[in-house]
Amino acid sequence: QETVRVKLGTLAPKGSVYHRVLQEMGEAFRASNAAGSAFTIYTDGSQGSEADVVRRMRIGQLNAAMITAVGLTEIDPSAGVLQKMPLLFRSWEEVEYVSQALRPEIERRFLEKGFVVVLWAEAGWVRFFCKEPAAHPSDLKGRRMFAWAGDSEQVNMMQALGYRPVVLETADIIPGLQTGLVDAVPVTPTWALATQLDRLAPNMIDLRWAPIVGALVFTRKSWDSMTPAARDALRRSAPHAAKALHEHQIRADAEAITAMQKRGLLVLRPSPEQAAAWQEVAQRTYPMIRGHTVPAATFDEALRLVAEYRSPGRRPERTGP
Amino acid sequence: MAVVPIAEIFLRAVFHTGIFAAASIVQHLGLAVAMIGGAVAAREDRLLTISAIKSLFDGRNGRVASFLANGLGACVCALLVAAGIGFVAAERSAGNILAYGVPAWWVQALLPAGFALIAWRLVARIAPGALARAAMLGLAVLLVGLTQALPAIPQWILVPALAIIAIGALLGMPLFAVLAGAALLLFWHQGLPLASIAVDHYGTVVNPTLPAIPLFTLAGYLMAESGAPRRLVEVFDAIFGSSRGGPAIVTVLACTFFTSFTGASGATVLALGGLVMPLLISSGYSQRSALGLATSAGLPGTLLMPALPLILYAIVAGVDIRDMFLAGLLPSILMASIVIAWGIHIRPNHLNRPAAFDWHRVRVAIGAAKWELSVPLVAMLSLASGIATPVESAALTALYVFIVTVVVRRDLHFRHDAPRVAAECGLIVGGILLVMGVALGLTDVLVDAQVPERIVGWASAAGGDRYLFLLGLNLVLLAAGCVIEIYPAIIVLAPLVTPLGKAFGVDPVHLGVIFLANMELGYLTPLVGLNLFFASYRFGKPVGEIFRSVLPVFAALAAGVLVITYVPWLSLALLSSR
Ligand code: NA
Ligand code: NA
Repeated sequence: QETVRVKLGTLAPKGSVYHRVLQEMGEAFRASNAAGSAFTIYTDGSQGSEADVVRRMRIGQLNAAMITAVGLTEIDPSAGVLQKMPLLFRSWEEVEYVSQALRPEIERRFLEKGFVVVLWAEAGWVRFFCKEPAAHPSDLKGRRMFAWAGDSEQVNMMQALGYRPVVLETADIIPGLQTGLVDAVPVTPTWALATQLDRLAPNMIDLRWAPIVGALVFTRKSWDSMTPAARDALRRSAPHAAKALHEHQIRADAEAITAMQKRGLLVLRPSPEQAAAWQEVAQRTYPMIRGHTVPAATFDEALRLVAEYRSPGRRPERTGP
Repeated sequence: MAVVPIAEIFLRAVFHTGIFAAASIVQHLGLAVAMIGGAVAAREDRLLTISAIKSLFDGRNGRVASFLANGLGACVCALLVAAGIGFVAAERSAGNILAYGVPAWWVQALLPAGFALIAWRLVARIAPGALARAAMLGLAVLLVGLTQALPAIPQWILVPALAIIAIGALLGMPLFAVLAGAALLLFWHQGLPLASIAVDHYGTVVNPTLPAIPLFTLAGYLMAESGAPRRLVEVFDAIFGSSRGGPAIVTVLACTFFTSFTGASGATVLALGGLVMPLLISSGYSQRSALGLATSAGLPGTLLMPALPLILYAIVAGVDIRDMFLAGLLPSILMASIVIAWGIHIRPNHLNRPAAFDWHRVRVAIGAAKWELSVPLVAMLSLASGIATPVESAALTALYVFIVTVVVRRDLHFRHDAPRVAAECGLIVGGILLVMGVALGLTDVLVDAQVPERIVGWASAAGGDRYLFLLGLNLVLLAAGCVIEIYPAIIVLAPLVTPLGKAFGVDPVHLGVIFLANMELGYLTPLVGLNLFFASYRFGKPVGEIFRSVLPVFAALAAGVLVITYVPWLSLALLSSR
């Protein structure tokens, strides 16, 4: 039996729940492989950005990665459907229902590109953090809104909606807020807490703009080189890991918001009219996303699935991770 | 390169939009500058090298040294071409689009193409005949074939091979080839794909903040070639020239000020050396004292806002740029005071005292230099006001300096001088980016072996004494400063040092100041202290003589670095949040 070495890159911090879950999977992997097999986890972005990590997987320097849709879309754009369509989902149940149905197709596309998805995970909801209070979408008109460099579709979309996107790298968010280069930033509460972004942008619109969705992927080459027992061990440990991550992130967002409220964060809950106005803004982005950011077929299927979930006639069974 | 970010600022300010994928376009221009600039530097035999020993060889020995150094360099280049092709092939299969329907791999192909061009230049230099070139080519093909056939090399090949690279480095092998050769051997030893180094190089040179380097460098070069240095020295001379130790104060202040916006004290030596040397000598300073002062006077500027090293460190280590600016202020004043104090200490017994203080002369001098004096303001204000990102601020500064030197002052001619200065700057920057790109390959080897994690684990197990850590840090950084230039050092070492600082409870901003202060000292260290070479080139003196002239101030500045390291207050006092 040959020894197998797996090297995994992620932006998740050392000691975080994501890291712990990966370590447990690594244990399961080692136990079912030849002695001397290794499962090395590179945390904190030490292997570079998610795009870098994907590049390293393509040349075979890394064999696996735990990355969000930002990196997953570098592999195949269909992965963007879960994260890049604003206000598509109202709850994790909806995300779960839709992604459960779409996963086989996304995973098939990934396999064609040489990647195997072992585990899907979520990492909280993106919300808007602003320097000045805002609740209605028109409040943000004229504000300088952060947009990710490299996500040109998002920029086009924001411009078409009449917003002022400022294209910056993630590293420029905090300095950008300090100097006034940007005054509204869409990020998750946990990220805001960790970077102390709330001290600069102390107003949060409590609107679940989009979920952060990630996955644990292996290169097909390394996956095929493993013993069937190792593949089996990873597959078997995946549901447990997904459950742990799911339970964590449901708590994490709320805990982060509470912690930031204690140091002065103002949470602005949109009224029903304001929420409807946001929904209307989001609807206007869909034609721009369909066929551009997200392949048209995947897009249509996602909309159909959401409608199906919400239709009173078809009360879907509870789908746990 | 300056055009896109400036257009971006303008569009954002006026139309509230921005150029579609502007960042992506400028980033890939960085790749083009690195590869084309590197190829031109290779043609002109101006690639950065580690060692000055090659200048000791002459005649037949010199030819042998050059043959070995360039031959080894060409072999490493051949491997880099193969690594680049492996990377581009993988990216091509992924089918990603850069912008406007242009596939990313078209631009990425610049990487192996550039290395091929550099390899060709190196071969052409040492093997003029067709047969000799064919032999070199055969050797390169053999090497590439060997890497394909052999997945990993054992220790007994690795060690002698690294020794050969080290000898090549001493014989004048280009610095980028030394670093790349070492990284490639280590990758090969670990059984990692050689294409890893191409991913590292690509990831580095398309770093979104990297374009700030060529842009600020261009601004500095335009200033250096114009009448700005003369006007700046006149301002400081008018104000301080008549005071005790005046010439030393003038030299230090003018050079520090100049360095703060060129970010490279080497450029200051070139630009101001010719002005401050006569000033010092005519005041009665000895040749050696004047040399020492002129070579070291710009160093404190590395820590003075808006110096580029501060910006680059802030971005690489993920700390706020404005915090870095404020944190560097007192330490740079301390370092400047040290150099001034030394300058006053070594002043001649019979200082030829110039005329008394003259208000009229001060007013005239400031009036004459108002455009140049406001350059740092352009950089600072555009950053602080929220108009621009660091890259855009650099572009704005470059444009402002261009307008001042070419249009307002007409010191430089638009058709004759500007392209020449830009080409010179491209050559220098290309050489530096080339080194930075492959330098990350070495970091990558360390990260792959989880060296930083292990050091943190080991250090916490050993008790985690902060002062011991800081002392070790000083020694390591000083050693690093001897072999690596400040920009590649920031790129390579800052990501390794940051988690360590965190583990030992060192404030990240203070850590940045310690890092840069050590690196600043590295400019003066033997072997590769860049200022020594610039001074040697500018004043036509051997490196050894220059080093002896700066030895006392080197020791004094080293004491200053220790103060900066062990008195965090100096760095953190101005930061309100701490
Ligand atoms: Na890295
Ligand atoms: Na990406």
